Amino acid sequence: MKKCFLVFMLLALSTFVAHLAVAQKAGENGAGKETAPQSAKESHKEYADMKIDECNECHKGEGVSPNHDADWVRTHRVTAGKAGSNCNQCHDQAYCLDCHTGGGIDPDLGTRNYQRDYVPRSHRTDFLSIHPIKALDNPQSCKRCHEPSYCNECHSRFPKGSLKIKSHLMLGPNGQRYTAGVQEHATEARRNLQSCQTCHPDGDVCIQCHSSGKTNPHPRNWSRIKDNYKDRAGSRVCTKCHLPGTY
Amino acid sequence: MVRKGFVRLFLGILLLAPSTGWAIEIHGRSSTQLEWFNNYFNDQRQVEFGQYLRFSITNIDEEGKASVFGYGRINQDLNNGEGFNARLYYLYGEYRDLFGKVDIRLGRQFVNYAAGSAIIDGGQVVLKNIGPVAFSVAGGRDVIFGLDGEASKGGDLAFAVSAYLHGFRHTDLEVSWLRKWDEWDVARDVIGAAFKQYLFNSLRVYGNIRYDIVSETFTEILGGVKYFPMANLVLTGEYYQSYPTFDATSIYSVFAVDRYQEAVFRADYTINRMITVNGGYTAQWFGEGGRGHIYHVGFSLRPIDPLLVHVEYDNNQGYNGKAHGFIADVYYDLTKDLQVAGGMAYDVYKRDVMQDDGTARLYWLGGKYRLAKNMTASLRIEDNSNERYHNDLQGRFVFNYDF
Repeated sequence: MKKCFLVFMLLALSTFVAHLAVAQKAGENGAGKETAPQSAKESHKEYADMKIDECNECHKGEGVSPNHDADWVRTHRVTAGKAGSNCNQCHDQAYCLDCHTGGGIDPDLGTRNYQRDYVPRSHRTDFLSIHPIKALDNPQSCKRCHEPSYCNECHSRFPKGSLKIKSHLMLGPNGQRYTAGVQEHATEARRNLQSCQTCHPDGDVCIQCHSSGKTNPHPRNWSRIKDNYKDRAGSRVCTKCHLPGTY
Repeated sequence: MVRKGFVRLFLGILLLAPSTGWAIEIHGRSSTQLEWFNNYFNDQRQVEFGQYLRFSITNIDEEGKASVFGYGRINQDLNNGEGFNARLYYLYGEYRDLFGKVDIRLGRQFVNYAAGSAIIDGGQVVLKNIGPVAFSVAGGRDVIFGLDGEASKGGDLAFAVSAYLHGFRHTDLEVSWLRKWDEWDVARDVIGAAFKQYLFNSLRVYGNIRYDIVSETFTEILGGVKYFPMANLVLTGEYYQSYPTFDATSIYSVFAVDRYQEAVFRADYTINRMITVNGGYTAQWFGEGGRGHIYHVGFSLRPIDPLLVHVEYDNNQGYNGKAHGFIADVYYDLTKDLQVAGGMAYDVYKRDVMQDDGTARLYWLGGKYRLAKNMTASLRIEDNSNERYHNDLQGRFVFNYDF
């Protein structure tokens, strides 16, 4: 019910915004018959070499927020979206990919390397040690640039037991095992399941306890959504825990 | 196979150039780099040679609608047995404004939609100028970069369609659908929407929603307001929530997870041409009672024209650990052609109550010299001191040639 309401709100908002924009455009074109229509996006090609602080006055005058400020990296996702994006008037795709995929053809002196790849400013000092904290901040932030396989490519090169994993500590012969009596792992896994995937990409350790007939790992709405998985991935996932025909 | 096709296309275009009456423009940058660092995996010093090339070929046709763009790099380890490494970031041909309504791109390219983004070996077609709504469709092989090369497998594909408002000055809205395949099985099925609206000459309202069709959950919801009463002051309030979802082909997709939420409050103020300050607070909710707080302050100073000082401090306190530290960079233009720079960063962190505080320090120095209008050379040396290295010296020398 809640999701239906949200979808309805999304559609209603889309309709409202579209209606508002069309009405605004019609009004501007009607009011400005003797001058050029003001509704189209401003071309920024001729401003490409301007200093950013020189852009702000014009932006404010046009009712457009300054958008290349210190908060730009965090908030550029909506600005760079398909609708209204005019990024390519000043930047080529290399500008995006240098940050997202480690390229370095335009780095300033302050840009760091992680081995051969260039890294954004968020990857500070000893990022190998700090990244577990940063990765937990927002579970989606890493995957904006890295596929899950990227994490495992790196983690799999370290000997088992050599990484200090929160809630794995002090258990088992190599200090890397949970026990059934320790509930912290359930909470940790629900909060940030991506971190489990970095070392256990196939979930082999999970299904030791969570396979068919043991502890049920599925979410509450599982009975409603399970066919979605079968429709898309066939038996590829289900048969890891269930016998064919039993799920 | 695909790469061979690109090379043939590229060579064909170059051969075409002398035979045409109009002037094809070829511009770009060649960047030759030498990097040295500690290889963290085998603990050996490594020296690598790198060569980047980025180019654009425009005005291929008489009307200037056809272009080709490319960007890639090759690396060769010189001493550590890591061998050769290459990344082709993009190489695509573009034809804009076909009948004034259609843009076509073919080749390897980065595509970005409200539902998600991808690098694809394929095509993108945009239909525009047909009214207030434009349409875009893109599809092809899903290119995934791994640590040492491409990690894509056969049957990894991506496809997206999008409808969006086109040509409105103060309003943007996009609705899109993105599907990705993992070895021919459907891995992702996402509907996304993004909008932004400028109101009252001082307000920007924006949002981005991603709905995962497989798990029937809103995997991301972002809503925010930016209030800019003056040209030099921006106040931001933002709510964000995410629900981790996985490829439908991954065992992790069937596990229950918690919702993550955060609220961001932030101010960015340009006091004058010499001083810019910013500060913010992020409240985090991790589910099942887990909380976190992130505080941030920063400033930039330009007391005299050739000098720029940039400092920022972060303090992250939460269930997930503690980290606080600062980054300080200084840039000084000694002459019009010579820039020197340096900086340091210091972090204290504690990942778990069972562990002691860790510290990490970083110092760097660099210089960049313009040898000619189209040539620069730069050198950066960095030293790290942390829990793994007493001294971790690394650096790079870069020679750029623009054409």
